Amino acid sequence: MPTITFVEADGTERTVVAAEGTSLMQAGVANDISGIVGECGGSRMCATCHVVLDLADLPRLPPISEGEEEMLEFGTSERFEGSRLGCQIPVTDALDGLKVRVPG
Amino acid sequence: MDTISRDFAAAIALEDLWNDPYPTYERLRNEAPVAFVPAANRYLVTRHADIVELERKPEIFSAHEANSLMIRVMGHTMIRKDGAAHRRERLACEPALRPGVVKNKWVPTFQAIVDALIDGFEKDGMVDLFDRFAGPCASLSLIAMLGLKDVDQKDLRIWSQAMMDATGNYADDAEVWRRSDEAAAGVDAALDVAIPYLQANPDESLISCMLHADDPLSREEIAANVKVIIGGGLNEPRDAIATGAYALLADDEQRRLVEADPALWRKVFEETVRWVSPIGMYPRQTAVDTELAGIPLPAGSRIGVVLAAGNRDETVFQNPDRFDINRPKAPHIAFGGGPHFCLGAWAARAQVGEIALPTLFSRLKNLRLDESEPVRFGGWVFRGPLNLPARWDA
Ligand code: HEM
Repeated sequence: MPTITFVEADGTERTVVAAEGTSLMQAGVANDISGIVGECGGSRMCATCHVVLDLADLPRLPPISEGEEEMLEFGTSERFEGSRLGCQIPVTDALDGLKVRVPG
Repeated sequence: MDTISRDFAAAIALEDLWNDPYPTYERLRNEAPVAFVPAANRYLVTRHADIVELERKPEIFSAHEANSLMIRVMGHTMIRKDGAAHRRERLACEPALRPGVVKNKWVPTFQAIVDALIDGFEKDGMVDLFDRFAGPCASLSLIAMLGLKDVDQKDLRIWSQAMMDATGNYADDAEVWRRSDEAAAGVDAALDVAIPYLQANPDESLISCMLHADDPLSREEIAANVKVIIGGGLNEPRDAIATGAYALLADDEQRRLVEADPALWRKVFEETVRWVSPIGMYPRQTAVDTELAGIPLPAGSRIGVVLAAGNRDETVFQNPDRFDINRPKAPHIAFGGGPHFCLGAWAARAQVGEIALPTLFSRLKNLRLDESEPVRFGGWVFRGPLNLPARWDA
């Protein structure tokens, strides 16, 4: 199972083991990562699972859908170049070792 | 739960909840956070953490309630479906209420509605803001978002109330059924006008999105979902507008803060729906034997998810009974959670927090409560002010 590192808003790094077939949001929620709330259960409506990736890592992820795009653009307090919604990122082996920042 | 707490839960009267549920909720949270309350014929879940936990398990805490009166009144709507059937209907509606559409299409619409309403009474110097502002604003905004044509805002308010009254008609009052049948017929007649028009002239509205989705909804599905949106997308923004206006008019210090820094209107909205949650309780039913907070819940148990109680949970919100726009950030649950998380959340934030409240306070000079008549609140399943008499310098 892939490991993912979340960097919380205060700089704390937490490395967790995420189950394939779940999402980055679910991995964050299951491990009580501060700043990952996942209010809408992954229906792409609340933007409470906002994560920021290194630009070099973006090609490892599926492309951004229209719904995710709008949520990032209008639903987050600040959008970064590497911004994604954790609920739209399926956990796969290709993500092993990924590090994401939680803007808080 | 000890005997005293069980007796306490058994003695809860709906009338007391309607008048002021918060003291009861505080005691339930502390003594019996998952308690069978005979008057409501449900287990009430009152702690924030337990509500968040159950919303993460929709396959156990199902939205599909047996003998649901809502299904009898409106047909089978998305709000009472689970899994793929729910997702399909929700996805069809989603493009109408995403944050980008809200910003580009609905915000200018809301602004025009709010300005016209204020134009209508600005010179009078006094009005009941509940009846003349909050209600019509929510109704006109919803007519626009749905895509209905030539519907009177008063009719939509009557239909909404009649259908919602019937979803709680456990006493089987014939007059309540008659009024909700009349309301449902009114909605069906309005759809006979809107559907052919939007079929030929697609736009951003909800009905148009349902018609033109990749997997379009049937006439029957559209009718049911339009009814639930009329029932659930009108009173909540109305009550949030009235509660938020009341909270600021009753607290000079909070009002001065937001008038000095308009960026705080966003927080006014979030704190308003935390403080007095427009949807205080919604139902779920256990699909299998389970437990919550150590209380065993057999399959088929009727659950009341008490958002209003979770939003006053002292372990999450310090001094929870106080309206305080500067409280430390903590997630409220006024929009629910999980797959049924409010689809109208972005529209509600914009309508209430970005347009209705800021415009009201900036246009009406020296706006104040009319002290000659007290503001009354009522309700526990849905809760908000029942009146909001106000004066200003005209
Ligand atoms: C302050 C205003 C509002 C509040 C507090 C609110 C609250 C809620 C809550 C708590 C739920 C979950 C109910 C449940 O799970 O049984 C919900 C669902 C829903 N709301 Fe809202 N709502 C508001 C405004 C609106 C508006 C303006 C619309 C439509 C334009 C709307 C449309 C919906 C729909 C369609 C659902 C069902 C979603 C589903 O089943 O997937 N709401 N709302």
